[in-house]
Amino acid sequence: MNFQKRIRQFLLPSLTPSFFIRLGSIALCSYLIFGYLLIPLRIQGKSMAPTYEDGAFNFCWRLRYLFSEPKRGDVVVIRFAGQKVMLLKRVVALENEGVEFRNGTLLIDGKAIEEPYVRSPYDWTLPPRRVEPRSVYVVGDNRSGPMQNHAFGQVSITRILGSPLW
Amino acid sequence: MVKIKYVLIPLMLIAAGIGAWFTLSQNEEKKIKKQFRLLSEGISKKEGENIFTMDQKIKKMGALFDDICEIHLPAYSVSGHLTREEIIGYAARGRLHAKELHMKTHDLKIHIPEEGNAQAHLTVRLIGRLTTGETIQEAHEMVCFLKKKEKQWLLTRVEVVEVLKR
Repeated sequence: MNFQKRIRQFLLPSLTPSFFIRLGSIALCSYLIFGYLLIPLRIQGKSMAPTYEDGAFNFCWRLRYLFSEPKRGDVVVIRFAGQKVMLLKRVVALENEGVEFRNGTLLIDGKAIEEPYVRSPYDWTLPPRRVEPRSVYVVGDNRSGPMQNHAFGQVSITRILGSPLW
Repeated sequence: MVKIKYVLIPLMLIAAGIGAWFTLSQNEEKKIKKQFRLLSEGISKKEGENIFTMDQKIKKMGALFDDICEIHLPAYSVSGHLTREEIIGYAARGRLHAKELHMKTHDLKIHIPEEGNAQAHLTVRLIGRLTTGETIQEAHEMVCFLKKKEKQWLLTRVEVVEVLKR
């Protein structure tokens, strides 16, 4: 009997002031958490495949770079347009580093870098360039197809919102 | 009592001034927002659109630009100071490649630094289908400059914010 009463109270709560306070607190916490700390993301596109597949769901953890800077190999969430369109890319070079692609091999300051996250072979060739201060160079993990069809390059650190939660 | 009156009257005048300024600036913002709404309508295309509708839309869209407008759209290989007729030509050719096209604007922020000049920051989303059957799904952050000429806000500069620099 007591159990039934509890269930009924849970499904049809009495509209008391304390109920509204609890409801308001939950709504406020949800707004703050999912609006500013853990922003829900739906991944569209295959630029980060197979690490992140098209249609997958994730969260952007905004506090990831609160006390640190992005490092090489980190997957970052970049503010692309407005507040809703974001890019998911991997940091391959840091500020003042020279970045180059030679026949499908990434070179940082002239040294070949091993990239275990890139599964399919590619044949990109990009002349060397230096990453500007307060910027990082980002590329997707999926490098199949011509280089011209991919969105990559250097981005200001101020545009990095955080990293995917998992 | 007399002293309070001397304080209240200037305060009320200041409040009225602020209110008037706010209302007037809001009106200008509304007018600018309307221009972007018309631009979206001009670019958008329904499947099976006839030549007459296309001609009307393109003409209306052309009227939103100044005689000479500075355009920087590297994604579409369009850059430079273009005349209204050239812009109309580019838009018409671009629309011909699309079977259906919808342009939506988000996060529109308008700043009026001085009378007759405005700067708008917005996100533009293009969704649709090409005549070849490929889907169009693009988002760009844009900065636009507008000038007021004969009570009309006209676009004088349109620029896509380059997030990733190769």
